[in-house]
Amino acid sequence: MFQWFGKVSYCPHTKVSGFARHLKDGRLMGSRCAACDHLSFPPRADCPACRHGEFAYAEMTGQGSVVTFTRIEAAPAGFEDMVPYTVGVIDLAETGRLLAWFGETIPEAEIAIGMEVQVVPRMFEEEEEIKVYYTLERPGTTWVKSDSS
Amino acid sequence: MTRVGVVGIGHTVFGRRSDATVQELAYEAYRDALADADLDPQQIDASVIGSVPEYHKQRSLAGVIQEYLDLNPRPTWLTEVACASGSAAIRTAWMSIKAGVHEVVAVIGCQKMTELTTPEILALMGRVGDVQWESVFGTTFPGYYALFAQRHMHEYGTTAEQLALVAVKNHYYGARNPKALFRKEITVEKARASDPVASPLNVYDCCANADGAVCLILAAEDTARELSDRTVWLDGLGCATASMSVLRRADLTGLPSATAAAREAYAMAGITAKDIKVAEVHDCFTIAELMAYEDLGFCARGRGGRFIEEKQAYIGGSTPVNVDGGLKAKGHPIGATGASQACEIVKQLRGECGERQVEDADLGLTHNVGGIGQYCFVHVFRRD
Amino acid sequence: MNLGLEGKVAIVTGGSRGIGAAISLELARQGCDVALTCQGRIDAANEVAAKIKEMGRRALAVKADVTSVEETERTVNRVVEELGGLDIMVCNAGITWDGVIWKMSEKQWDAVIATNLKGYFTYNQAAARVFMKQRSGKIVNLSSINGLRGKFGQTNYSASKGGNNALTKALAKEMGKFNVNVNAVAPGMVATEMAATIPPEFLNAAVKDTVLGRIATSEDVAHVVVFLCSDYARHITGEVIKVDGGQYI
Repeated sequence: MFQWFGKVSYCPHTKVSGFARHLKDGRLMGSRCAACDHLSFPPRADCPACRHGEFAYAEMTGQGSVVTFTRIEAAPAGFEDMVPYTVGVIDLAETGRLLAWFGETIPEAEIAIGMEVQVVPRMFEEEEEIKVYYTLERPGTTWVKSDSS
Repeated sequence: MTRVGVVGIGHTVFGRRSDATVQELAYEAYRDALADADLDPQQIDASVIGSVPEYHKQRSLAGVIQEYLDLNPRPTWLTEVACASGSAAIRTAWMSIKAGVHEVVAVIGCQKMTELTTPEILALMGRVGDVQWESVFGTTFPGYYALFAQRHMHEYGTTAEQLALVAVKNHYYGARNPKALFRKEITVEKARASDPVASPLNVYDCCANADGAVCLILAAEDTARELSDRTVWLDGLGCATASMSVLRRADLTGLPSATAAAREAYAMAGITAKDIKVAEVHDCFTIAELMAYEDLGFCARGRGGRFIEEKQAYIGGSTPVNVDGGLKAKGHPIGATGASQACEIVKQLRGECGERQVEDADLGLTHNVGGIGQYCFVHVFRRD
Repeated sequence: MNLGLEGKVAIVTGGSRGIGAAISLELARQGCDVALTCQGRIDAANEVAAKIKEMGRRALAVKADVTSVEETERTVNRVVEELGGLDIMVCNAGITWDGVIWKMSEKQWDAVIATNLKGYFTYNQAAARVFMKQRSGKIVNLSSINGLRGKFGQTNYSASKGGNNALTKALAKEMGKFNVNVNAVAPGMVATEMAATIPPEFLNAAVKDTVLGRIATSEDVAHVVVFLCSDYARHITGEVIKVDGGQYI
């Protein structure tokens, strides 16, 4: 299931493969340690605070701010058809960091370190296989259409 | 406590070596090192190979190299920590001598990168960072350093032109190094006009893949003094790691592994940054060298741009850096680079660098980073 | 059996009579608000709409040319706006115009293909666009056992119904990742107005053909359609369900 995550997946097996299933349902998940409640993002099975191995998924708001970014012009295998693309690293409001592409609601010229963004779950709609990812969008952007406009 | 010293060095030309296998390249460097040390191979107790396996079709490289060098049945093994593999081999050899297990160890940093086809290289390119959370978005090696550069520019006002000055310096010295891949000087304009790779880095901000091999013969103190009167001592070693993932780096304007490794190496050698007369730092990208000036304490945090602008990293400046061309002009055969840096420092400390010689170089440093800073090895060499 | 369709919004093409009317009414009975389209018989459509309103549900009767992409878009937009969304799309509008192929006019062919096949493309497309964005939806395309087998005198009709089946399967593959089920219902002979024009000997032959000894009522078909629109059928997609009393096994 973790193969669903990303444009190219190099990681078929992981203890946190449920992350991808939740992402397909529009939910960005971190992990909460079953023993000490420590919250991690990205999710991880092994608690960095107390080393306990059991956890539960905990939904993140996806709100964050840009720490740094770059526009990649020379692409690795599997990404040639979308180059150039801009990746950003953001600090998430609750904890942790996330790396993702900027989405359509944020024009290239407006990208700035420190700006607030919203992580939005996405799917490659025109691929036959299920492939999920997320993008950095203007705050307030939602995953699915909430009204009929 | 017994010291460990370098008694012999050998360094191939770096470049597109479509004339040799990796073991044949290793042999070139090994032969030169043996001659340089005036050493009989019988005296070698073991070898340590620094190389990165995924670029070679041959599996288990150390074995095939040991065989070709006719060093069977001596022990050998591979050390791999990405671009710091050469330094890891040096550290491992040093530790084995310090522990009294071996007297004389041949360290061979070697790499062939040009055996891969372009599709194979492109496939490897995307797997540099954390493949679980980052590579899925198409991150690349220059992409990561570009993230650092953007942050450095944001926090300290560093400019793309200042980054280009690093490349200009290294090409200046590469033009004077017969072992380098690139032997022509460049201008800032040429550097800034080159194709974009990952903003703000252009082609000229990035080192190039290359093939090459370097051999260093390390020996325990007593044996070293018998073998050579030009021994350069490896007196300070620091080694540290940092997260593989940029998602867990608190500060993106420097490499925490480098700062920690430098601190450790300086302490062990009983020196400070100011005492370093000549340095080889890991300029996989121009920003990497700039951050190294700061991480190693050659200048204050955030002042790397000014440091290069003021030509402090040239011979005659406060700390000459990469006066053999660095990774930028030599090329970066990843397993060989760490050993190449050590080789240059040894030559500087011996006074053998001709027009690139730094005056009174008695303390030198190598700073060898693996990947995006998940590993860093800092070594301090001393000439008595 | 509570099908969980309370408050859902459905469009049924060709909902003014026969199977379409039965489907519209059954959906309303299950709690849906229903928009139904008709080609020309707006009175009949309004009657069905009135019955739906009597049940306490909202209804919309729309005269619409199913073969027009533009008109379909307008109709669907209007439904989404007036009824507050769209959850269920039932394509049912269809015609027959029989004849042996060597006597079939171009117009005979084109009309049947346009209404029966293109008319499903238009509404499936419009519904898909809505369902994709909200990650939910149900599409049911009314087909026929004459799309699974060949029927004498119906090269045009069989082609269109076979086409409906294949369209349904291909669309199911495209829509699955959006949590949208796409299925077809393939009735055999149904006792409707259309069938009332069929000579008695053919009807009797059809009864004999069935294993159950009877031909379907419109409600027999509507019940299966409504089942497919419910969460009970959430794991069925890309399927063609015959409702033919065993007429074609």
